[in-house]
Amino acid sequence: MKIHGGYTPKISGKPQSIVEELPLPEVLQLNLERGGLSYKPIVKNGQKVEFGDSLAEASAKGGTLLLPSPASGKVTLVQNNGKKSLALEVSDASIITGKYEKFQPQRITAEKMRQALAKRGIWPLFWSSRTGGVPALTESRLPKAIIINCILTEPFRARGKVILRRSWNRIVAGIRFLPRLLADYGTIQIILTARRDPVARMMYVDLAGHAWVRFHSVPLLYPIENPQILSQAIRKSDSSFKKDDVIWAIDVQGVEALGACLAEGLPLYQRVVAAGGPGHSSPKHLCVRIGTPVSGLMSEDSKPGRGKPPESLILRGGLIRGEPVDSATGSVRYDDDAFFFLPSAADRQFISFLRPGFNKTSYLPCFATRITGAPDRHISTMQRGEKRPCIACGLCESACPARLIPQVLHRYLYRESLDEAEKAGLNLCVNCGLCTYICPSKIELQEQFLEAREQIRLEHEEIAAAASSKSEKNENPI
Amino acid sequence: MKILSNMFEKMRPLFEKGGKLSRLGPIFQAADNFFFAAPEKTKTAPFGRDPLDVKRYMSLVIIALLPSFIAAVYFFGWRILLTLLVSYAAGGIVEVLFAVIRKEEINEGFLVTGFIFPLILPPGLPLWLVAVGVIFGVLVGKEVFGGTGRNIFNPALVGRLFLALGYPAAMSSAWIEPGLGKWGQLLSPIRLTVPEAVTSATPLVLAKGGTLLPPLDLFLGRVMGSAGETSVIAILLGGIFLIMVGVASWRTIVAILVSFAGLNALLHGILPAAVSPVWFNLSAGGILFGTFFMATDPVSSPITQSGKWAYGILIGAVTILIRSFSGFVEGAMFAILLGNICAPLIDEVVIRTRIRRYANER
Repeated sequence: MKIHGGYTPKISGKPQSIVEELPLPEVLQLNLERGGLSYKPIVKNGQKVEFGDSLAEASAKGGTLLLPSPASGKVTLVQNNGKKSLALEVSDASIITGKYEKFQPQRITAEKMRQALAKRGIWPLFWSSRTGGVPALTESRLPKAIIINCILTEPFRARGKVILRRSWNRIVAGIRFLPRLLADYGTIQIILTARRDPVARMMYVDLAGHAWVRFHSVPLLYPIENPQILSQAIRKSDSSFKKDDVIWAIDVQGVEALGACLAEGLPLYQRVVAAGGPGHSSPKHLCVRIGTPVSGLMSEDSKPGRGKPPESLILRGGLIRGEPVDSATGSVRYDDDAFFFLPSAADRQFISFLRPGFNKTSYLPCFATRITGAPDRHISTMQRGEKRPCIACGLCESACPARLIPQVLHRYLYRESLDEAEKAGLNLCVNCGLCTYICPSKIELQEQFLEAREQIRLEHEEIAAAASSKSEKNENPI
Repeated sequence: MKILSNMFEKMRPLFEKGGKLSRLGPIFQAADNFFFAAPEKTKTAPFGRDPLDVKRYMSLVIIALLPSFIAAVYFFGWRILLTLLVSYAAGGIVEVLFAVIRKEEINEGFLVTGFIFPLILPPGLPLWLVAVGVIFGVLVGKEVFGGTGRNIFNPALVGRLFLALGYPAAMSSAWIEPGLGKWGQLLSPIRLTVPEAVTSATPLVLAKGGTLLPPLDLFLGRVMGSAGETSVIAILLGGIFLIMVGVASWRTIVAILVSFAGLNALLHGILPAAVSPVWFNLSAGGILFGTFFMATDPVSSPITQSGKWAYGILIGAVTILIRSFSGFVEGAMFAILLGNICAPLIDEVVIRTRIRRYANER
C-alpha cells in the first residue's frame, strides 16, 4: 500500500524501545475533555471511589460514554479557568481484575460488546469514516472493515512495535473480539511495516488462518497513521469497497486496551506514552496511569524545583500536530500516547543560511545531514526563517498526503475566495500539518485552512437553517 | 559576532515603529536578518519547523551559479565582476525603494535576479546599459506585480528582453573574444568600456553560416556568447547541484531537454541543411543556462507538478523552432517568456482536472 507524499523528519531524542513503568503518583489529575466531548462528573466532591468506578459521563450518539477511575481513592472536583477536572487522591494502587465481567470472543454479542466498551472508556479510541471521529454507539451501518494501525510515524509517538512486543497477548485477544463489530463479510485490516520485520512476522504467524484478517505493509512516512489517509488507501487498494462503505480505525494501543477490557475485565486505566524530543535528556517509553501529571514524565534533571527551570515547551502529541501543555497542571489523558519536549528558543545563529547544517535536517536534501545521516538537533520553537510571500516552490504539493495543492488553496484564501478553495478540495485536507512544517516561506497554512473550513461550515449551517425555516414557513402558511 | 549582535540590538529601537528611522526599517531588518537567524517563534502548530527558509533556498541557487560565474570571469575577464556589482547596486536600489514604500521586508529573490542578470548579457555591454536593464527588469518584471512571489515573468529575462529590443545595436556589438591562454583573461586589466568588442560571432550565428564550432570549445566555454551561457561544463556542474539539493524542478529540466532534443533530431533528420545537429544546439547558445537557471524559477513557472511537464515541453519546442526558422539565432529567452505567459493557463487546466477528481472523492 502506498501513500502520496509524506515525510518523517529525523529528529534527535527518539525514545528508547524499553518501556519503563512509572510509579503511581499520589494524586492523579483527570481531565474531563475527551474526543471533542465534555464529560460531566457523576461523583461528589470528596467521594471515595474504587478502581474502575465511573467518574464522569457524556451523552454521545446512541448512548452514554463513561470515564472509569484509573485507581482507588478520594475524588475532589477542581475548577480551573472555567474548566472542570477531577483530582484523585490515590489510596490504593492495586488493579482490580475482577471488577468487570470477562468475555469470550465467541460468546459475546455485538450489543454487549459496545456497552462494555462505552462503559469502560474504550469506545472513543475508535474512529469512523462516517462521522470523521468517534463512531455512534448504535451505528445503523456497520463497518465493512476495521483498520488496526501499528505504525505511528510522527516524532515521537509511542511506537507500535514497542506496544506489540509488550502486550502481544492482549493485542491478539483484542483482535479476536473485533469481528463482532463488523458487518457481514467485514475484514480486519492490519497496518504493519515491512514484512520481513520480526514483529510483523510474529503477527503473520500468530494470526495465520484467520480469513478475516488482512495485512498491509506501508512505508514509514508521516502521516500514514492518519485514519483518513489509511481508509482512503485501503479503499484504493481493494476494489471490493464501495464509496459509501463505512471503515473504522483503531490504533494498536486501543486494541490492547480492548483486549484487556473484554478478556480480563479491565477498564482503560493506563497508557504507554513516548516522552522524547531534543528537550528530554533521557527519551523513553513510559507506562503511566491515566491522570499522571506531565511533570512526572520529565527527565530528572529538568524537573522544576531542582535548580534548573524547564527550558522546553511540552507538546501533547507529536512534533507536528502536538499542542502545548502546561508542565505544572497538565496530565496524561485517556487517549494520550506522546509528549514531545521541544527546546524553547535557541540562539540566533550567525549567517545560518550559509552553514552546511550538520545538525539540521530538512525535507529538501540541502543540509549536510543528508550525507552524515545525523538527526536534527537544532529544532526548537523558533520559526527558523522569516515569513515571506509564497514562492511557489511546490514542496507542499509534493508532501501533501491528500493530493491537494496547498499553495493553490493558500492563493484562493489570500484573496478571500472561500468558494474556490472549497472547490479545490479544502475539505479533503486531513490537517496533518506537513505543508506548514516544511514551507520555506513559513506561511501558516494549517491555521489558514482550519479557519477557512470553520467559516465554510458556519456558512453551510446558516444556509441549512435558512432553508429549513423557509420550508417550515411554506408548510404552515398563516 | 557578539559585538555585531549587540550593535544590532542597540540600533533596533531606532528602526522599530515609532523610532526615529522607522521608515528605513526594511533596510535594518534585511541587514539584521542577513547576519542572524530570524528571531520569531512559532505561534501555532506545528511548533517546530523545517530549517529550510527562503534565504537558504535562494543562496543555493547562487551557489549553483558560481561555476558559471567563475567561468565567465575566466574567459571574459574581471569586468564580469563589475557588471555584477552594477546589477546588484542598481536593482537593489529599486528593491529597497519598493520595500520602504510598501513597508514590507526586502525579499531575497532579488539576490538571484541580480546575480543571473550579468550572466545572460553580452560581456562587453556598457555598464549603464546593465543598470538600465536590471532596473527595468526588477521594476516592470517584478515590483509592479507586487514583488517576489507575485510576478508573472522572470525579472532578469524581462530586463534582457528590454535591452534586446531597445538597444539592439549595443547588444549585438558587445561580444568579447574569450581568453584562450592558460590564465584566460584573469590577468587582463578591468575596463569600463570595451573598445574592441565585436559584432556577433557567437556559435549560433556562425552555425547559420554553416560553421559548427568544435564540441570541446563549446563544452569548456571557449566561445563567444553571453557571459554565463558559454561553458557547458560549468552550467552542468551548477545544474546538477541544483537538482541534487531539490531546488530546481527536475520535471521542468527533463521536459525542456527532451522536447528540445527530440524536435531538434526530427527537424535535423528532415532538413539537415537548415537545422544544426542536436549536440551542437544543446551546447551552443543559452538553452542550457536557461533550462537550469531561468525556466526553473519557481515563481514564474507553473505551480503544479504536472503543469511543469507541459511548460517544459513548450519551452523546448519553441526554442528550437525559433532557432531554426526565424530571423533570430537564439530562441531560449523568447521561449521561456512565452512559457511564463502560458504558465497560469497550464495551471488552470491542471487545477480544473484536479477539481473534477476531488468532486469524485467527496
